[in-house]
Amino acid sequence: MKTMSAAAAAVLVTFLGLAAAGCGSGSDSSASASTTSGSSASTAAKGSDPAQKGGTITVLSAGDVDHIDPGQAYYSFSYEITYATQRPLLAYKPNSVNASPDLASAMPKVSKDGKTVTVHIRKGVRFSPPVNRAVTSSDVKYAIERGFATSVASGYAQAYFGDLVGAPAKATAKVPSISGIETPNPTTIVFKLKQPVGVFDGALGMPLTAPVPAEYARKYDNQTLSSYGLHQVATGPYMIKNNASGNINGIGYQPGKLIELVRNPNWNASTSWRPANADKILFKEGFQDPTVMTRQILSGSADVNGDTPPTPAELRSIQSNKAQRAQLVFTPTGGSRYIALNTRKAPFNKLDVREAVAYVLDRNAMRLTRGGPIDGRIATHFIDPSFGSKGFVQSGGLGFDPFPSPDFSGNVAKAKSLMRAAGYPSGKYTGKQLTMVADNTPPGSNTAQVVAADLAKIGLRVKTISVTHSTMYTRFCNVPKNEPNVCPNVWWLPDFHEPQAILNVTFNGQNITSVNNSNWPLLDIPSLNKQMAQAKRVINPSQRYADWGRIDKEVTKTAGAIPWLWEDFPTLFSSHVTPAAELWNGGAPDVTFMSVK
Amino acid sequence: MTLYIIRRLLWAIAMLVIVSALTFLIFYAFPSADPAALRAGRQATPELIAQIRHALGLDRPVYDQFGIYIKNLVLHFDLGYSYQNNVSVRSEIFSRLPATLSLTVGAVVVWLLIGIPIGVLSAVRPRSLLDRFAMGAALVGISAPVYWLGLVALFLFADDIGRIPLFGGAGSYVPLTQDPAGWFKSLILPWFVLAAAFAAFYARMVRGNLLDVLGEDYIRTARAKGLAERRVVLKHGLRAALTPVVTIAGLDIGILLGGAVLTETVFNIPGVGRFAYDSIVNSDLPAIQGTVLFGAIFIIVANLIVDIAYAFLDPRVRY
Repeated sequence: MKTMSAAAAAVLVTFLGLAAAGCGSGSDSSASASTTSGSSASTAAKGSDPAQKGGTITVLSAGDVDHIDPGQAYYSFSYEITYATQRPLLAYKPNSVNASPDLASAMPKVSKDGKTVTVHIRKGVRFSPPVNRAVTSSDVKYAIERGFATSVASGYAQAYFGDLVGAPAKATAKVPSISGIETPNPTTIVFKLKQPVGVFDGALGMPLTAPVPAEYARKYDNQTLSSYGLHQVATGPYMIKNNASGNINGIGYQPGKLIELVRNPNWNASTSWRPANADKILFKEGFQDPTVMTRQILSGSADVNGDTPPTPAELRSIQSNKAQRAQLVFTPTGGSRYIALNTRKAPFNKLDVREAVAYVLDRNAMRLTRGGPIDGRIATHFIDPSFGSKGFVQSGGLGFDPFPSPDFSGNVAKAKSLMRAAGYPSGKYTGKQLTMVADNTPPGSNTAQVVAADLAKIGLRVKTISVTHSTMYTRFCNVPKNEPNVCPNVWWLPDFHEPQAILNVTFNGQNITSVNNSNWPLLDIPSLNKQMAQAKRVINPSQRYADWGRIDKEVTKTAGAIPWLWEDFPTLFSSHVTPAAELWNGGAPDVTFMSVK
Repeated sequence: MTLYIIRRLLWAIAMLVIVSALTFLIFYAFPSADPAALRAGRQATPELIAQIRHALGLDRPVYDQFGIYIKNLVLHFDLGYSYQNNVSVRSEIFSRLPATLSLTVGAVVVWLLIGIPIGVLSAVRPRSLLDRFAMGAALVGISAPVYWLGLVALFLFADDIGRIPLFGGAGSYVPLTQDPAGWFKSLILPWFVLAAAFAAFYARMVRGNLLDVLGEDYIRTARAKGLAERRVVLKHGLRAALTPVVTIAGLDIGILLGGAVLTETVFNIPGVGRFAYDSIVNSDLPAIQGTVLFGAIFIIVANLIVDIAYAFLDPRVRY
């Protein structure tokens, strides 16, 4: 684990400089750990400062978890709870994007043909009350299988475990038995794949692999919608406070109000690398005003922001205060924000018009709508700098910008020349008004205004439909038949630090679906699809990152989606705690590594 | 009177059905997020979303869904389960009612204790310095948005982030049964913030009504009979002037019991209003329906109580 002191910052700058010059070594072992702060981050995790044991850590959040069930949880905030209470086969230390064995006793062994993956699990891991028994490999098998049942409906089971032999092609009414998951003995689990899967390690770090005791969970999973989440048992250092029968609803889980983690009495510290310093973790929810939340953390009445960043104004104020600056940690989210142009509809079915848009956009002004440089670096392609040699370097690093403009403020002259090449002699579009579906609240609505103004410079007049963020996705931009010409507020965070997790779902034409589609530009280029299909099967990491780096460049050049921000997430810690932010999870606090001073 | 109450109750039931139907229609007629897609997650396949839609009953015709909802409501008082977290909407609302009730009752006491005396004093001495000051302050109180006022109150007086730390801050609410002193401390700021606009409005209303009443013939008669001015104003004047105040107060209380959304949000009080807010953000139809229905019930019941109270306050009213 690396921390970002002044010296480390210098290392990062050097690294980024090398990346910009295209001098990456290509090694797969040096993914950047680029969490930054005014002073130290994750000192507890580093081990240089013996952490205090005991006490309570209070995390503030605006909203609730997306799902309390570890088999369903899929949001960054939910993972703060899930990874503190559950033990997937693999997991991540705070400042790393490389998985470490968690429930597994060692990293998975992959056969030469890439189709068999063997994992041994640790002995001495036990379920929390009321189950109280030792975990076996069968519990991991059941956990993955239940993700395919309609009652659980894991959002990613099909995407990452669909290549298992015997995996159902669609969700099943009951929890299926998957023949491709074998458990030859209680501490061994073997995954048989139909074809090699390059990112299977990443999948094994998802919470779906956290064990679930079938004999206890099945009655809940057999319900129309499983309520196992409300009766869950833990394997991690903490558990959600429950009653004797295992119910957490209204006890440790009060939806929209509070999630209370207490120590799991059956957790064996010798089986885990998590220090789990605090005795209790309180996730207090419903803090809708980020300014109040920020002030409460600075005052010490709470310890860290769980899901909402401080406002840009607050961040600037904190950065100008020497004492407070030490409490602020910036972490690359690993994802990028971009403008999606519908390549199926005129005029964006023409490459020249899309390129013109890429040139005309004032990406600096767009970034200012989210707070300016404090919010992150302007993106010029899709793989984020935090990927380091896991694809970022291979895609050209900071030196790759196919649509350059001075200070990223746009190049109108170049854009107009491209419009002329596209058949608009005046350099301006003369067709009918276009549609854009955008957020109805800042900062997304402000970004959309900047985009609309920039598009107007080359004659692209847009009618903006303003809706809530989730409506924008689920009713418009995710539904091809309803998709407008422009979706200016889309954002993609990878599930783990593999370039495939950034590029495949979002730009592979094979993944365009009638609903819940995340290929927002509706990009469907056979040669690109083929390259992605091949890259997905590459087991050798160096080769895989090189392949995806090349794909990143090609996708960017299509200008179907125009990246404009590699966003950082600011995590503010109170002066009462030792910070620990998760680089792998977009800067979310790792409560198992934090400690009360 | 009994017949009147029965008639009103029947109307109330019809009104609740209409409100529920309208909520359903609004949810489906206007663009809102797809609950099945939200529940499924971003990498879910269309087939999985279709299966979730089926499991939630969202693939049935709207009238069918509404029929099932009403049937469960009438037969079991079942408001369904949240799409978001699968918890019972009825239980969730009941668990949040004490917070909303605490906020509302306290605020009502505050605004009546402030609004009525100021209104009376202003009416007794119209155009005096006191009257002008009170009505000016009332105008400010009515104009100040609750959200803004709440933030100002927190930054000034909250014991964690305030300049003059006196009272509990955002998120400090504890139930009365758990810690009475903590409950009181946590609600002082929300009570005053919520009451500010109401107190101002009620002061202006009492002043206006009382001025009108004090000009009536029977008041002149009372004075001519030699009654003390205090008795004239408080017994004969104020009683008549309060009749419309009771009407409005009943409605206001009903609305607030349905959820004081902004105050609960800014002070992070886990009441029905915040539940409604969260439900709308998450496109959680059963939760939206439940909170709307509860709000409607409170308003209707409050109206009924007001109408009955009228008979006692105004001897001319008969049912």
